[in-house]
Amino acid sequence: MSAIAKPLFTPSRGEEVEDPKEHLMHDPMPRGEMNSMVLDSMHSTTWKYWTLTGILAFIVVTCLFAAWYYLIMQGLGVAGVNRPVFWGIFLVEVVFWIGISHAGTFISAILRVLKVESRRPFTRAAELMTTFGLVQAGISVFLHMGRVWLSYWLLPYPNERGLWPDFHSPLMWDFMAINTYLLCSTMYLFLPLIPDLAMARDRSTGWRKTFYKILAIGFRGTEGEWKNLKTAMNIFAFAIIPVMFSVHTIVSWDFAMATRPGWSSSVFGPYFVIGALQSGMAAVAIVLFMIRSTMKNMKYFLRPEHFEALGMLMFLVSLAWAYFYFNDYLVPWYGGDMWDKILNTFIQTGPLWYLWYGMLFCNLAPLVILWNKKWRRIPWLLAIMGFVINVGMWLERYVIIPETLTINRMPFTWRIYVPHIEIVLTIGNFAFFFLLYLLASRMIPLIPVWEVQEGQESHILRKVGKAKISTVSEID
Amino acid sequence: MSDSTMLLAVFEEIEPAVNGIEKLHELGVSDEQMNVISGIPIKEAILGRPSALSYVSRIALTGAILGMLFGIFLIYGTPFLFPLHVGGQPIYPVPQGLIITFEMTMLGLMGFAFLGMLVDSGFPSYTPKEYVPEISDGKIAILFRCPDGQQKKLVDVLKKIGAESVNPAEARQL
Repeated sequence: MSAIAKPLFTPSRGEEVEDPKEHLMHDPMPRGEMNSMVLDSMHSTTWKYWTLTGILAFIVVTCLFAAWYYLIMQGLGVAGVNRPVFWGIFLVEVVFWIGISHAGTFISAILRVLKVESRRPFTRAAELMTTFGLVQAGISVFLHMGRVWLSYWLLPYPNERGLWPDFHSPLMWDFMAINTYLLCSTMYLFLPLIPDLAMARDRSTGWRKTFYKILAIGFRGTEGEWKNLKTAMNIFAFAIIPVMFSVHTIVSWDFAMATRPGWSSSVFGPYFVIGALQSGMAAVAIVLFMIRSTMKNMKYFLRPEHFEALGMLMFLVSLAWAYFYFNDYLVPWYGGDMWDKILNTFIQTGPLWYLWYGMLFCNLAPLVILWNKKWRRIPWLLAIMGFVINVGMWLERYVIIPETLTINRMPFTWRIYVPHIEIVLTIGNFAFFFLLYLLASRMIPLIPVWEVQEGQESHILRKVGKAKISTVSEID
Repeated sequence: MSDSTMLLAVFEEIEPAVNGIEKLHELGVSDEQMNVISGIPIKEAILGRPSALSYVSRIALTGAILGMLFGIFLIYGTPFLFPLHVGGQPIYPVPQGLIITFEMTMLGLMGFAFLGMLVDSGFPSYTPKEYVPEISDGKIAILFRCPDGQQKKLVDVLKKIGAESVNPAEARQL
């Protein structure tokens, strides 16, 4: 009988055991050096940066603000919305951008609560997406309103006749939830930023010094200040998670509360939440790749290990999305309601069939890449997967909103929605998001240096037998 | 006015800083007379110091209660002010009421946590403070009140255990 129970395996080339030094937490640098690297990346602006900024600014001015002005002057008639599709691309954009905004909270809050160490260098990049994503969602709501100057009617106060807004309406819940989320996520973005702003203040001159001095609000890093900051951050980390879940659940109720074919579904809440995480995670992959490849010194902070961790999250969320979608699809299909059948046939075989198949392909095909650890570690590949997923998620929202609205219980009203000015405004919307991000990347430290240092201080390599094992201790 | 000066001792690492705190204790500087300033948060247990008192949680809880009351007012109070029947639904529904009440509670909780952090820390503050920029480069500073006549002795002791510099703390514009 052999002494060896199973055949032995010698790693082939490329499968060697990882060097612990490849991990950011085990490759520390003096804090001063890390500070310099981050500030240097903010201060270096090449002609390429300014050219891109100029192009984006031009697109924003023409495709967003000028087109919006035209929309206001001409009225919503210049958009493609008409009976029965009154919710067009603007609402697709609202759901899409709110979905994108879930990434920041998920990465920053949930991973912080679960003490996932790989989150440390990219929490800020994700949190910024939350705020800027919500700004785009807000703009899309205003575009959809048409008479945007009356948007203050949504505020909870009584009108001249003493009548308050109807708080029993899902649209009012939406207003309250999105504003709560916007306010709280902006505060949550600011809290961990304070020590980094103080760092930037200490190392800047001129207008930047004044700018950071104002924003750093006098932070020095005394015991009391840290205690208060950490307490507030802890409260936010725990409290913002249910708010995040509530926001997209309530967005889903805008649809699910209506007894329309295709919308009235009890699974819509969690399905929307998982969809939001799906697009949010994917967008983080795109943004991290762009930061890593275009900004100086970022290769030290954003390493393949971070893309791998993000890829794993994307993989799990993609699987969950597939599960929820199947749930949402199967029950009406099995139920056999006439209107659901007609709607499903229209979506899958009607003139817009390619949207549904595109959605399925873009959301499921990346699983083939994401399951593989080696592929997940390739930043550009993960960014492409992120892009594909986001195309899929955008299509999903298009299928759910204007395409589903096409079919109702009054066949004489059926009409396919064709977007007009919405396309231009959508381009402007996306350009505005990237412009804001581009400007912010040179104004605020995208890497939370103090959190990275905190992580590096708490990680050590412990020798166990022949191996060196990563060990984490809590020093904060 | 007490006869004492404020000193700022700067250390490169945590270990000598902790030793410095211990030495200061031994030489009669109490915990109330010192403060540790650092570029990352360090647990009090590591420093051998009592925990700093924070009112943030209590302020946040107050905010949550106020937010909840505001939410209850919006969902149950406003229909009372102007009753309007919509779609045969009850005027005071419980399940729907939970949504607005929840959102307002969380807004109150987090809004007040944020304000509590600002108020309890004395932010924003743009007056001169005892500080050196090296702290944000990862150094650890002990800011302490030194009884007059003991300054030389304390400076020597702290330098001996690894302080990079021990100087009279100057309030400067941040």
